[in-house]
Amino acid sequence: MEDILTVESLSKRFGGLYAVHDLHFSVQAGQIVGIIGPNGAGKTTLFNLLTGFLRPDSGTMLFNGEEIVGKKPHEIVTKGVARSFQVVRPFHQMSVLQNVLVPSLSKKLLKKSLSRASHEANARELLESVGLGEKTGFLAADLSHGDLKRLDLARALATEPDLLLLDEPFSGLAKAEIDVLLPFIEALNNKGLTIIIIEHKLRELMKLVKRVIAFDFGVKIGDGTPEEIANNEAVIKAYLGGGARGFAAI
Amino acid sequence: MKMRSKESWRSRCLSILGRMVPYLIVIGALSIVPVFVKSYYIIDLLILCNIYAVFLASWDLLTGYTGQISFGHSLFIGGGAYTAGLLNFYLHLSPLITIPIAGLVAAGFGLGLGIPALRLRGPYLALATFAASGILSVLTSVFWKYTGGEDGLYGISSLTDNIVAKYYLSLALLVICCGALLLIVKSRYGIGLLSIREDEIASMASGINTSKYKIVIFTVSGLFAGVAGAFYCHNQLHVGTEELSLSLSILVVLMSVAGGIGTIIGPIFGGYLLIFLNEWLRFVEDFRMLIYTGAVVMILLFLPRGILPTFILMVRYLIGTRISRSGD
Repeated sequence: MEDILTVESLSKRFGGLYAVHDLHFSVQAGQIVGIIGPNGAGKTTLFNLLTGFLRPDSGTMLFNGEEIVGKKPHEIVTKGVARSFQVVRPFHQMSVLQNVLVPSLSKKLLKKSLSRASHEANARELLESVGLGEKTGFLAADLSHGDLKRLDLARALATEPDLLLLDEPFSGLAKAEIDVLLPFIEALNNKGLTIIIIEHKLRELMKLVKRVIAFDFGVKIGDGTPEEIANNEAVIKAYLGGGARGFAAI
Repeated sequence: MKMRSKESWRSRCLSILGRMVPYLIVIGALSIVPVFVKSYYIIDLLILCNIYAVFLASWDLLTGYTGQISFGHSLFIGGGAYTAGLLNFYLHLSPLITIPIAGLVAAGFGLGLGIPALRLRGPYLALATFAASGILSVLTSVFWKYTGGEDGLYGISSLTDNIVAKYYLSLALLVICCGALLLIVKSRYGIGLLSIREDEIASMASGINTSKYKIVIFTVSGLFAGVAGAFYCHNQLHVGTEELSLSLSILVVLMSVAGGIGTIIGPIFGGYLLIFLNEWLRFVEDFRMLIYTGAVVMILLFLPRGILPTFILMVRYLIGTRISRSGD
């Protein structure tokens, strides 16, 4: 499999503090990769760098072989990278359907020159698939947190990405909701979508991914299968402090 | 297959026509007004309302729809008015020429303000727009020899001497400009504008080039406000600093908010209502401003969505239809 994303020597500093420090990793097309790390480890900063919301101080990021450093967020979406947000950012005073129709105005989708009606049909289908089919006419402001998470995911998928960055998709969700979402994300990956997922709910994450990258203080401290990461000394130390063992049992 | 597409085309046309019915009724009603109303005073007021409608609708496109808070709409209105006034006063150009040029100049102001405005949000943007309109106002004082300073320029040519004809011209201005603004917000790009208002970061993450959208909207808003400003100048036969004043900018915000922002039609309705309220209150001149401002405060307090959206919701509720969620 070829690399869809290659990150080399990526660094980002806020004041004197490195949020991301000399980061190297690559993701192959079709992979699903988990990113873990304590709060403030630089995970969301990495997503902000990858999607053009922040500009790195140094380093390169190649997506499908193309440099994306310095590209604007909308340009990166057009290249095929979509993201969800840790704290959902719906368009509150717009209907659920309209929320998912906004990406149809991206350059990538405009190029397809589909009619308004077919964009709408696609959006409805997408909403159906995430379980919001009954609520297309609701205002986003009236949705529950779980529904907003799904809406956020649907909006990211509506950009028709090749790489999907999910920032804590399970946070604040009840177990029953996670049980629905987990296979849905798995199915997306099975259809060929490359996914990078930040998650604190390790039990769920470890079920979903075959590779995990662990972060602490902006530095990569581990990269491997879930089992390898669970037994990685540096990771255990970062999460539980020195001396803790049996992390895999969590 | 061909049959079906023909049918769907026909049904689409019918549904578009159906949605236009309320607008057509209002335009129809406005166009027969001079048949029944013989008072020049009322017709004059209606002309003012029609011009204000364009001020308000163009502001609503920028602020109500796209969320770019502007407290300096008089920059565009006054910019258009002064362009038309100067061209007419010194070069004796006809309104047919001055009005389009004024629109273009004001569109240029929109572009000029839109680019630096990309870096500003919320109250900071509001202050910047306010300051920008102040610059033009100061310039009219600096170049008082040409602009007439505080007095402005008198003797601008009239659009036409017949007041009824003038009324129809103002109605045409309303229909063309507000129609164009409505077409913009109802087009597929309308939700792009709303998304910028609702959450600019999420809008970017959805692939929207928000900078481009905002610059275009500043320019378009300037264009229409400038055209209406020029019309206003030819209607008043005078151009002066009141067209550039902060009080005009505030009046635009006030009327729009009272009418119901983010709807284009709401602010127009608010303009008609408040202009007429202001005039009706002249019989209690001593208390006029008190009652007028009191009424505005009451509207803002009790009808925060604005008069028109609240009224529509009430009608829907009364006739028992399910309250339709916006936009679907």
